Amino acid sequence: MNHLPLILSSRWRIVATSITSMKLVQIISFVFVISCFLFGAYYLFVRVFGYLVTVEVIGYALMDRIIEMAFFIFFIMLVFSNVITSFSTFFNNRELDFLFALPVQPTSIYLNKLLESCTYASWATMVVALPLVIAYGVVTQAPVFYYPIAVLSICLYVVIPAALASMLIFGIFRFLPRLTSRDVIILSLTLICGLTFLYVKVNNPALLKIFETESERELLQFAANLTTIGGTYLPSTWLSNILQGCNVDMNQGVFYFLLLLFVTLSIGILAFFTAKVLYVQSWLLVGERSTQRRKRTSPLARAQTSATRALLAKDILLFVREPTQWVQLFVFVILIAVYIFSLRRTPVYFTFPLWRTIIAFANFAYISFIIATLGVRFIFPTMSLERAGIWLLGSSPFSFERLMTIKYFFNLLTAVIVIECLLLLSNLFIKTDQRLYVTMHFIALVIAASLVSINLGMGSKFPQFNEDNPSKIAAGSGGILAALMSITYVAVMITILATPAYYYLRGRYLNKSHNLFVLLVACALFIIVNTATILLPLRSGLWSFRQRDF
Amino acid sequence: MYSNISHSDSVSRLVTTNLKKCYNGVWAVKNLNLELSAGEIFVLLGPNGAGKTTTLKLIAGLLHPTGGRIHVEGMDVQREPVKAKTVIGYVPDEPFIYNKLTGREFIHFVAGIYNVQRDQYEPRMDRLLARLDIGDWIDEYAESYSHGMKQKVIMCQLLVHDPHLILIDEPLVGLDPKSGKTVRELFFELRDDGKTLLICTHTLSFAKEIASRIGIISHGELKFTGTFTELTAIAGASDIESMYLKLSES
Repeated sequence: MNHLPLILSSRWRIVATSITSMKLVQIISFVFVISCFLFGAYYLFVRVFGYLVTVEVIGYALMDRIIEMAFFIFFIMLVFSNVITSFSTFFNNRELDFLFALPVQPTSIYLNKLLESCTYASWATMVVALPLVIAYGVVTQAPVFYYPIAVLSICLYVVIPAALASMLIFGIFRFLPRLTSRDVIILSLTLICGLTFLYVKVNNPALLKIFETESERELLQFAANLTTIGGTYLPSTWLSNILQGCNVDMNQGVFYFLLLLFVTLSIGILAFFTAKVLYVQSWLLVGERSTQRRKRTSPLARAQTSATRALLAKDILLFVREPTQWVQLFVFVILIAVYIFSLRRTPVYFTFPLWRTIIAFANFAYISFIIATLGVRFIFPTMSLERAGIWLLGSSPFSFERLMTIKYFFNLLTAVIVIECLLLLSNLFIKTDQRLYVTMHFIALVIAASLVSINLGMGSKFPQFNEDNPSKIAAGSGGILAALMSITYVAVMITILATPAYYYLRGRYLNKSHNLFVLLVACALFIIVNTATILLPLRSGLWSFRQRDF
Repeated sequence: MYSNISHSDSVSRLVTTNLKKCYNGVWAVKNLNLELSAGEIFVLLGPNGAGKTTTLKLIAGLLHPTGGRIHVEGMDVQREPVKAKTVIGYVPDEPFIYNKLTGREFIHFVAGIYNVQRDQYEPRMDRLLARLDIGDWIDEYAESYSHGMKQKVIMCQLLVHDPHLILIDEPLVGLDPKSGKTVRELFFELRDDGKTLLICTHTLSFAKEIASRIGIISHGELKFTGTFTELTAIAGASDIESMYLKLSES
């Protein structure tokens, strides 16, 4: 008997119960914030694409290249994300003890867990990809059938990395059972990085080239390369060709859609049979691994002289020992490093200081978004990760105020170090103006303080003590809300700061006068918004935590 | 409700006055009045869902009472939670240790939370670890522990800060017979040392063996309190099982 519908229906009931148990105000707020984000993203993409279609010769090609590059990057991120999520979903999950003890086909369990893993690893991609493709369709005046095909294609596209990741993890655990979870994740990610590197080296895709466009010859070469397919064998290329095909060439669109469908089904079937053969065995082998014995002296032995030190030592130890935490951090670091080092060519392309200043401002905005993202992923789950251990803190003479204060300042210190390092390096590469440099560093401190407050406060308001995977905690309704609040906050900050930046540029490079009133209003708004975003989320979170029964 | 048992004039370590807790219209605890002295082991018996765990959690400060007051050594747990909790030790029914900490690290962490210096607790802990037959696995990650192993570690961490009022929910679950005997001996030592223990359990023989007094709780109300002899007399029963069944269903 196929138990998959039964398992899926119970899963759906859990989700439905968690939604219906929320207060109406919470549901409305959540829907409202999500809608605002989706609409905001859509509006931004429509503006960008709307401008590009007016650019002669290369406008459409640039737009198509942006789409293709976006999906290429999404694909790499999805593979990483699925490898990390797969480990905890398919192996490190207490529910599996219950499910495997039942007379249920392991393949039913696998398909259920594959859906779960894919959902958790892909939701962020879907949130960005959907407004992107819809905006593309609107700007290019795509036919009606474009929209359902685009959505279906994205759904197929996100299944491929999920299935591939599961096969990789099963294979490694089955044939190398002595490896610890940390080793498996490092091995998987090394394999992926290695394959990606080989692909780039061998194929040298035009997608990743940075072209010089100083002379007319170089510009024409750049325009010609825009129409070059990034990589024939990549699902991201097929997806972008499907979107283009719906507008331009139906035969191309149909071909790539069928190709994507065929490959997704093939990989899915291959993953299914791999799971049939390997899943149970690898799961049993993982359960039988003995754990490594630790040394008798540990940082906690030295830290027990004060509650603050004990709490911080515990949090740091748990972070370092949990592969899903530091591996994801490592992935983020690599991506950020690639971005930062790509900035070093900026002074080559943009010799006029006005452009470099604009880029510095855009860079500042982007780094703020990075901190917002890191905050949701690593700060939001902080309170939830106390898990059932909250009984210990709740029954001890350790107040929740003190708990939040310690976590706030520790996370603030970390966020400040990260944001200041990123700004320092990026501004060094861009060769930003000194005065702007100093101002940005000061503003970054305030932004870090606000983002930590938003994520810690929301994490206290929407804890998930039953979940031990920080990625899943961040992907829950509270995490999504915190993500949207963080991104909205950064967008508001950039909008407020844009005015003084604009007047600075006018005054510095165009010899135009300042408008003191506007500058004062911008300063006042900056102070008011940040006072609210630093104080209110923390107070709200603390109040919620205090009211909670444990 | 029978609470006509007068006990000694020793200091009241725990006093609950009309303690109530309501969850979504359901009364988990109703007008619970309890007074425990120093050097006493009070065992709370009752069927599933009677309100035993809720009572313990209310006293430990993990739940907000809907009504009533809780005083520990004269300190109101609601108004002075931090002060009151310095003298309370609590063990939940589901032992939890952070998966990626070893048992030893967890004990150090608890010591840090309670600001207990290493030289104060470590010799005591080492003796207790030996008594409970906790071997080298104390230095392995808790993710590999069985329920019983976690229970042993939790018992050890309970005594790190030398609490005066000890709240324990199902102390024997998962423990092997030898460890169960050790735990009983430990409880007697704590009682003789002037500590107060409030224990919830379903194990009647254990309750009979160790309790100074027994409380029968049912549907959130403390129906009867007294010594084993007094309660069997009230119930007209000869053994603890009959006594419990008669009193809990009345």
